[in-house]
Amino acid sequence: MSYKGLPDVVTTRRRNLLESAYFTEIARGLAVTGRHLIRNLFNTDKMPTVQYPDQKRDYGPRFRGRHRLTQREDGSPRCVACMMCSTVCPADCIEIIAGEHPDPTIEKYSKEFNIDLLRCVYCGLCEEACPCDAIRMDTGIYEIAAETREAFVVNKDFLLNNDKDGTL
Amino acid sequence: MAKLTIDGKEIEVPDGTRLFDACREARGGRDLPHFCYHPDLSIAGVCRLCQVEIEGMPKLTIACNTIVRDGMVVHTTSKRVNQAVTQVLEMHLINHPVDCPICDQAGECGLQDQYMDYGLYESEVEKTDKVLKKKAKVIGPHVILDQERCVLCARCTRFCEEVTGTGELGIYNRGDRAEIDVAPGVELDNNYSLNTVDICPVGALTSRDFRFQKRVWLLKSTSSVCNGCATGCNVRVDHEGGRIYRLKPRRNDEVNGPWMCDKGRMTYKDVHREDRLDRVLVRREGELQPISWAEGRQELLGAVKPGGVGYVLADPGRSLEELVLIQRLATELVGEEPMAGGVSDDGHDEGDDLLLSADRRPNRKALAWLDFAEKPAEALAGELSGASGVLLVFGGDPLAHQALADAASRMRVVYLGTHRTATAEAADVVVPLSMWAEKDALWVNKQGRIQRGQRAVLPPGDAREDWRVLVDLLQSIGHDPEVAGLPALRRLVAARLELEDENLLNRLPEGGYAPPRLADAPTGGR
Repeated sequence: MSYKGLPDVVTTRRRNLLESAYFTEIARGLAVTGRHLIRNLFNTDKMPTVQYPDQKRDYGPRFRGRHRLTQREDGSPRCVACMMCSTVCPADCIEIIAGEHPDPTIEKYSKEFNIDLLRCVYCGLCEEACPCDAIRMDTGIYEIAAETREAFVVNKDFLLNNDKDGTL
Repeated sequence: MAKLTIDGKEIEVPDGTRLFDACREARGGRDLPHFCYHPDLSIAGVCRLCQVEIEGMPKLTIACNTIVRDGMVVHTTSKRVNQAVTQVLEMHLINHPVDCPICDQAGECGLQDQYMDYGLYESEVEKTDKVLKKKAKVIGPHVILDQERCVLCARCTRFCEEVTGTGELGIYNRGDRAEIDVAPGVELDNNYSLNTVDICPVGALTSRDFRFQKRVWLLKSTSSVCNGCATGCNVRVDHEGGRIYRLKPRRNDEVNGPWMCDKGRMTYKDVHREDRLDRVLVRREGELQPISWAEGRQELLGAVKPGGVGYVLADPGRSLEELVLIQRLATELVGEEPMAGGVSDDGHDEGDDLLLSADRRPNRKALAWLDFAEKPAEALAGELSGASGVLLVFGGDPLAHQALADAASRMRVVYLGTHRTATAEAADVVVPLSMWAEKDALWVNKQGRIQRGQRAVLPPGDAREDWRVLVDLLQSIGHDPEVAGLPALRRLVAARLELEDENLLNRLPEGGYAPPRLADAPTGGR
């Protein structure tokens, strides 16, 4: 059975004498390398390398960075601890402990909300699953560094006040 | 017998069968959509979801309130039926708050299921137009009510009237203001109140104990048997990550029907109680100190030696397999007399005429079968004061009786148990055992029905499968029962009970098995 548009048998062309003579092809390869070298030497602006961390790449507005928890207009967290995000999370990195909210119109809220940033695969399914728009990954933060593994587990306070600083 | 055609399939059912049940049979076990129908309650016919088309009848008819007739031709999935069900569902959802994210019923909710099957329409009702009612109203020690979520199926009110006969719940007001409530000054406070949570098809009645503890789809279920009393209700242990979150009844018409008592449901808390034993403890310099399992095992084997043990005391809270092994061990260690299956004064409390038994031990009947007599505390104290050496105690809390504690004060107490009881405090060696939800074990209820509970969670710390500890002890005194695993152990038990088939206990039917030979055995205890 053949796939549409593809030949049943792939035939490779035999190398001709010049190609199999080794040195001509080496020279051709070096010429390509040399061309790039010289072009970049005299035209550094066009070079694709970014001088990180002095220079940073621009990402689109939909880039998924470090998570944050959003707030209602009155400043209280939107999260109602429905566990949709932790259920859908393929990395199982979200841990929520629900509690009874003193306000009966809210009823349920997250007493604890922890994300293990080392486990997170930044797939964005959590913000997709959230029925309350409580979790977002729109901070644009991708520089995440810490000295201990424990420090990568960020809690609710941290996520509610997630600023643009990369340190944990 | 009545012959009828349902969805083009001809079936034959006994006369008097409800069309609802006949439809389930014809549809391969799939129920018609429904909220109010419950096989153990009277027919209310209020939810209007189980409507079917019967040829020759001008209107659609609800299947729950129809008795089959010979020659009926029924359609359950015709366009007319589907359309009607969708419209009824839309009516049910008009005032529903759709607060699934904070609703504990989400995941096992009738409205959610029905909506996925018959709904999926664009709602014409604005959320702001809905009739508002009371939310999160505590109506009893175990149950919390959300009137907005209610679909007025009246299952809970029928339960309180027909099963418990207490009638706490009622439907008040009319039209879209109708709501479930308790009468002023009344609480839904009977020992079966959590059954209303089970039968509530939506999130109107939810459990206060389980409230916000876990989303139901994360739970795993294991079949087991309640250990709260001698009734042995069949339960489903819902657990996750080694922790039990709730017990739900499992239908067994021979034992508990679909119900279960609230006391029984709360027994899971004992499994995770603070004072669970999880290490071997040895008394050193007057204090009980934890030691490793390897050391503890040596300590235990050193204490349990023929000639060294003066008395063996079991408890009807241990499983059938354990009791068989304990009895065997005791016979080898101390001979026929100085042993007891338990303290007959223990484990009695008030029962009721529905499910809760006054006998609060799950396995007293097994003691009677094994001729492993319980003795009253007074008699035991007398026997103990004549004994010397090691007092070997398996479970229970016999030394909570002052007379027994006094009598045992000269003896070295070795306690194998689950909690830090008075007996543990008085003991010199304490070995942790597993509780009912932590082991695969057999229980004999008061009817003489052998039922199997499966292991839901692992025992804490160093505690392990109890029968292995007992086999280890038997081996160490040179009486290897030669059981390498549970099947062999159950063959041993079957042989001890002289059952007709040695593998019967390995192939126990779902609902348990009551050996006819042992049906007339006397009950244990007093």
